[in-house]
Amino acid sequence: MASRTVAKDIITLRGSAAIVSEFFGYAANSVMFFYSILYNRGVYPEESFAKVKKYGLPMLLTQDEGVKSFITNLTAQLSEWLEAGKLQRVVMVIMSKATNEVLERWNFSIETDSHVFEKGVSREKSDREIMREIQAIMRQIASSITYLPCLDEPCVFDVLAYTDTDVAVPFTWIESDPKLIANPQMVKLHSFDTKIHKVDTLVSYKNDEWDEQ
Amino acid sequence: MDESATWRLPESDWYSPRRLHDCPTHYSFPQAYRQKLIENLSLDSQGRPFKIMVFRGSPKSSRKSIRFVDELRQEVAAIFEKDCKQTPYRCIPKGEKRVLDAPRLRNDYYSNIMSWGINNILAVALGPELYLWNSEDQAVHKLLQVRGGNDWPTSVTWSEDASTLAVGYMCSNLQLWDVESSKLIRSLQGHSGRIASTAWNGHILTSGSRDKSIINHDVRAANSLASCIKRHADEVCGLKWSTEGNRLASGGNENLLYIWEASKMSSSKFLHRLSDHCAAVKALAWCPYQNNVLASGGGLSDGCIKIWNTEKGICINNIETKAQICGLEWNRHHKEILSGHGYSIRENQNKLCLWRYPSMTKVGELGNHKSRIINLCQSPDGITVISAGADETLRFWDVFGPPTAGAGNSMVSDLQGLLSFRTSLLR
Repeated sequence: MASRTVAKDIITLRGSAAIVSEFFGYAANSVMFFYSILYNRGVYPEESFAKVKKYGLPMLLTQDEGVKSFITNLTAQLSEWLEAGKLQRVVMVIMSKATNEVLERWNFSIETDSHVFEKGVSREKSDREIMREIQAIMRQIASSITYLPCLDEPCVFDVLAYTDTDVAVPFTWIESDPKLIANPQMVKLHSFDTKIHKVDTLVSYKNDEWDEQ
Repeated sequence: MDESATWRLPESDWYSPRRLHDCPTHYSFPQAYRQKLIENLSLDSQGRPFKIMVFRGSPKSSRKSIRFVDELRQEVAAIFEKDCKQTPYRCIPKGEKRVLDAPRLRNDYYSNIMSWGINNILAVALGPELYLWNSEDQAVHKLLQVRGGNDWPTSVTWSEDASTLAVGYMCSNLQLWDVESSKLIRSLQGHSGRIASTAWNGHILTSGSRDKSIINHDVRAANSLASCIKRHADEVCGLKWSTEGNRLASGGNENLLYIWEASKMSSSKFLHRLSDHCAAVKALAWCPYQNNVLASGGGLSDGCIKIWNTEKGICINNIETKAQICGLEWNRHHKEILSGHGYSIRENQNKLCLWRYPSMTKVGELGNHKSRIINLCQSPDGITVISAGADETLRFWDVFGPPTAGAGNSMVSDLQGLLSFRTSLLR
C-alpha cells in the first residue's frame, strides 16, 4: 500500500491525497477552496469570514461554526475516498435559497494515476510547483467575479461527490441527481496535478438574463 | 449531418471562452441530445461508471470522525435538525417592556442579587435592603434591611417551589426566609467569607463563597451541613444545578469551572475540571432542551461563551463576545441563548446579545443600559428577561417569546406554565 511522504519532494499517494484533499478542505477546521468560492460568490456575508495565510495566499475562512463543521466533515469523507482512489469528481453547487434553482456549478474532476494507486510508486514534483498551481486557481476563483453573473439573492450550497459505483453510500450522504444547469455557460479554469492526482476545474453558470440576445 | 453529431464538439472548443464570443449565448438542446446526456451521465469521459452523492451531514457518521469535537457538535446540531420545526422569523423587541428604578443597586460583578420565583415574585437586593416585587400586581414590599452599614445581601435565590428565599450576605451569613409571613426561618453557618452564589436542588441549598469553599446544606436537618468542598482556589462566584439535579456546575474567580455529581459531592471528587476560560466564570446556565449541556461565560479578559458536553467534559462550541459576561439565560421557547454583558474594550458593552443555538450565530442585541449589566434572570414563563444594571435600573425585555406550541423543546415551558397556573390559583 502507499507509504507516507519520506523525502521532501517525493509525493506518494498518501501525500498527494493529502494535498489534493487539502485543496478541497484542509486541516484545523478550515477549507480553502470551498470557502474561496463561498466568499467570492457572496454566498455568505464578507463579515463572516476571517483571513489566514495558506499556500502563500491570504485565505478566508468562515467563522460560522455550522458551515465550518459541515465542510470539515464532508472533506474528511472526500479524503478517504481520494486515498482509496474512488473519488472521480467533486462538485460544489450554488442554488437559490428561495427556488432551489442551480445557479452555479463548480466542477473539480479528479484523475488518479491508476499505476501509482496499485503499486504505490512515488512520483516527483516539488511542493512549490504544486502550490504555484493551486495559487493560480485560487486567483482565478477570485477573479471569476468579473464574468460570473451577480448572485444577488440569498443562496445556499451543496457538495456532490462522483465516486466509483462500488462505493457504499455513507450515512451522512445520500444518492443524488447531478443538479445540472439548463443551458449553461462554462469556463474552464487552470488545473493542477501532483503527478498522481490531476484536478481539472470548470465552472458552469446560468445565463445572465440581461445578456444580449 | 445528423443532429446529435452537431453537439459533439471537441472538448477544447467547448471550453474555450472564444466560443462564447463567437457563438450565440442561448442554446436550446434538442430532445435527442438531452437523451444522450442522460445516458452519458452514468459514464464519465473514460467510460467509467459512477454514482453521485450529495453530502447531508446528518447525525451518525459511519466511520470514526477525525475530529471528535466536530462529531459532538454534529450530534448536537443533528438532534435539532430532527426535532425542529421551521420557526418563522420573530421580532426581537428593541425597547424594554418596563424599567424599574433600583437605587443603591451594588455595582459588584460577583454578586447575584436577583431571583424571580415561580410564585411570580422578583426578589432583588438593593444595597442593604431586599425588596420583593410582584410581577402580577406590581406591588412592592420590603422584606428586610440590614443595619450597620458593613453588611448587605450578596446572593439571593428562590427555592424551586418558591416557598423559601435564600439570602447570602457579605459577612458570610446565610439566611432562609419565609416570604408569605416575612419571617426569618433559620440562619445557616459554615462560611467565613461573603456568599457570592447560591443554588437550590430540592431541599439542598448549595452556597459558594469568597472563602473558596462550596457548602451543601440540607435545610430539613437540624445540623444542616451535608458536605463542604474545598477545591476552588478563589471565590466561587457561579453556581448552578442542572435541571435534573444530578450535576452541579461551579465557577470560580481563578477562572476554573468544575462539574460535580450530586452523589459524589461529599468526597470532594469532581467530575470535570475545565480550565478553558481566562477570566472569572460567573455566568452559568444549563441547557433546558439537552441533558448535560452547559453554557458558561467568562469575565473581562475572556469574554467567551462556551458550550460544554458535561458527560464527556468537552467544550463543543465557543463564541467570542469580546465583553465581560455577567449572565446567561437559555430561551426555553426557541433554540437560543442570551448573554448579558458588562465592560468591554471592543464591542457588546452593556448589551444583551441573543445567539441562535447550536450554530451560535448572533440573532440580535438589545440594551439601553448606561453602564454595565450585573445580573440577568428570567421569568417563570420564560418570556421575559430582566437585566440589572450598574446604572441602578432593572430593565424588562420580552425577548424570549412568543412561546411555541410544540412538543419536545417546549415541554419544559409547558410544565412551567402549568405550575405557575397552579401557584397563581393558590394565591
